[in-house]
Amino acid sequence: MTNANPHRPIRGGAKAPAALPKRGGVGLKPEHFRHILDAQPDIGFFEVHAENYMVAGGPFHHYLERIRADHALSIHGVGLSIGGEDPLDELHLDRLAALLARYQPESFSEHLAWSSHGGAFFNDLLPAPYHAGTLARVCAHIDRVQERLGRRMLLENPATYVEFEASTMTETDFIAEVVRRTGCGLLLDVNNAYVSCTNHHRDARAYLRALPLAAVGEIHLAGHAREVDAAGAPLLIDSHGAPVAEAVWALYDFALSLVGPQPTLIERDNDLPAFAVLAAVARQAEIVMARHAKLEVAA
Amino acid sequence: MSAAFADALLRPDAPCPAGLKTWNGSDPAQRFAVYRNNVIVSLVDALADSYPVVQALVGEDFFRAMAAEFARGNPPRSPVLAWYGAGFADFVADFPPAAGLPYLADVARLEWLRVEAWHAADADPVPLAEVGACLADEAALPALRLTLHPALRLLRSAHPVVSLWAAHQAEDVSAALGAVDFADAEAALVVREGLDVAILHIEAGAAEFVDKLLRGAALGEAAQASGPFDLPAALGLLLRSGAVVAMTPSRRAP
Amino acid sequence: MQKALTAASFAIAFGTAMTLAAAPVAAQDKMADKEKCYGVALKGKNDCKAGAGTSCAGSSKMDYQGNAWSMVPKGTCEKTASPTSPTGFGQLKEFKEKKA
Repeated sequence: MTNANPHRPIRGGAKAPAALPKRGGVGLKPEHFRHILDAQPDIGFFEVHAENYMVAGGPFHHYLERIRADHALSIHGVGLSIGGEDPLDELHLDRLAALLARYQPESFSEHLAWSSHGGAFFNDLLPAPYHAGTLARVCAHIDRVQERLGRRMLLENPATYVEFEASTMTETDFIAEVVRRTGCGLLLDVNNAYVSCTNHHRDARAYLRALPLAAVGEIHLAGHAREVDAAGAPLLIDSHGAPVAEAVWALYDFALSLVGPQPTLIERDNDLPAFAVLAAVARQAEIVMARHAKLEVAA
Repeated sequence: MSAAFADALLRPDAPCPAGLKTWNGSDPAQRFAVYRNNVIVSLVDALADSYPVVQALVGEDFFRAMAAEFARGNPPRSPVLAWYGAGFADFVADFPPAAGLPYLADVARLEWLRVEAWHAADADPVPLAEVGACLADEAALPALRLTLHPALRLLRSAHPVVSLWAAHQAEDVSAALGAVDFADAEAALVVREGLDVAILHIEAGAAEFVDKLLRGAALGEAAQASGPFDLPAALGLLLRSGAVVAMTPSRRAP
Repeated sequence: MQKALTAASFAIAFGTAMTLAAAPVAAQDKMADKEKCYGVALKGKNDCKAGAGTSCAGSSKMDYQGNAWSMVPKGTCEKTASPTSPTGFGQLKEFKEKKA
């Protein structure tokens, strides 16, 4: 893992935890808890949504504790609303700090999006305009998160369906500036990049090249659904309910040509298949990684 | 910006927020609908996960429409969705299209207690040897205070909620439902046994007894003040379910 | 009111309770809690997906436009002999929202 900005150490600085292995990982779903404990699969890492484990006890913690004991872990938040206009929810940050203290994950990540406004939580990753005001808020929020958690976080690029007239920056410039100012890392969601670039008619490879790639600490791969907008143009939906599309595998291959092998998560939240299916996709990612590892050595 | 966006998310008749654009000049309203729909679908899915028997009783279409109505008026106040839908039973009780199913709100209450029990704090049951040791001092037994498991919940209903709930776990739901007597009032004890939450039908007197124990009454006090019930069976149930986590002698006689 | 309970009756109750608690599972099933039941497991409710097919016409999950006020419950309640419903079963007449 590389630090994008060595001049700006993370405040509150506990020593950096071990990094995720540069292997394929799988999103941990309760439907697979028992199978994973019984079968002990060889998986690079598991990733959980932080909010699902913000409960006192019971089966979720029972299984996560046991699975975590044998595997690397990434905790992925979906509720901080880092892109929101509301102040950060300090109570939520406390819950997150407690969860991280309990499980000591190798990685913590969140989204460039908002999900709360006026005290209501919308349970969706909503888009924000890219301008100086949002930039200042997002950076202040990430500074606070990294300070409170005592660690560097990764920020995930979003899948979006609309753009804002008020935007004055491109998404890639916005993300690059956030990384530069806060020292956070980048969780490169290749499916999100593909979905957004299709939805906004951009060149996905140029989009990837314009990101602060030195900050990449993890990659996400997922499936999307295909619809059309009011003019009949393709509108891709980040559904996490289908196999990873061929075009996304190709973009992943291209991304690795730029950043080399990276911890790569297979995300699946809808129409969940058997665990073995997801494990096979994680191995597929490792095959692509192995090819790029050889290229790195050759170069 | 977020205020207009947020407002339009929850109101299906609200216009698409201003200031959105699309690369091809297509109507942004259709793209905005992805967000609007995802918010409601995801919240309704969360409610469906917590209230499967309510959904089975009214059917998926009715449930999703009712849950969407709830979600629009009561979006979550916390990002922790495990706790979303605590007020759903009260909403169901006052939802006129469901008024013909007077038991529905209590079934929802029971399912909510199951959610609470599922995620409640862990605690080890008191070892049977410790229970045995308490028996040595027979005179002190009525003054014992039982600490019950943090996951334990109790529901007393004027409807046959446990039978209705249990019928939906049966292989032949129709046959099981046919056997339910709607004149029955039932009490439910919700316990977490290991990693599963069980729902048990207990007699009215036993429910009173457990309720008093939960309020901190000593054994003798709680049993005396409750209607008739089978004390050994009730204690056996609590011990066997791992629902007793501590037994504390108290000096004061009941 | 429960009939008067002596300390001895608690000792007997506990003794019996412990026998019940220590009984093998097969025997337990025949005892007090014949209604005991476990439901389906709960899922994790937080995730970061958008529902598939959520945006456009033809989607089965286009919930934001559903109108609960004109719907009738049509689930297992139709199989319940509900004393409160006019048909004797759980079916309901279509509810018309009253607007003032």
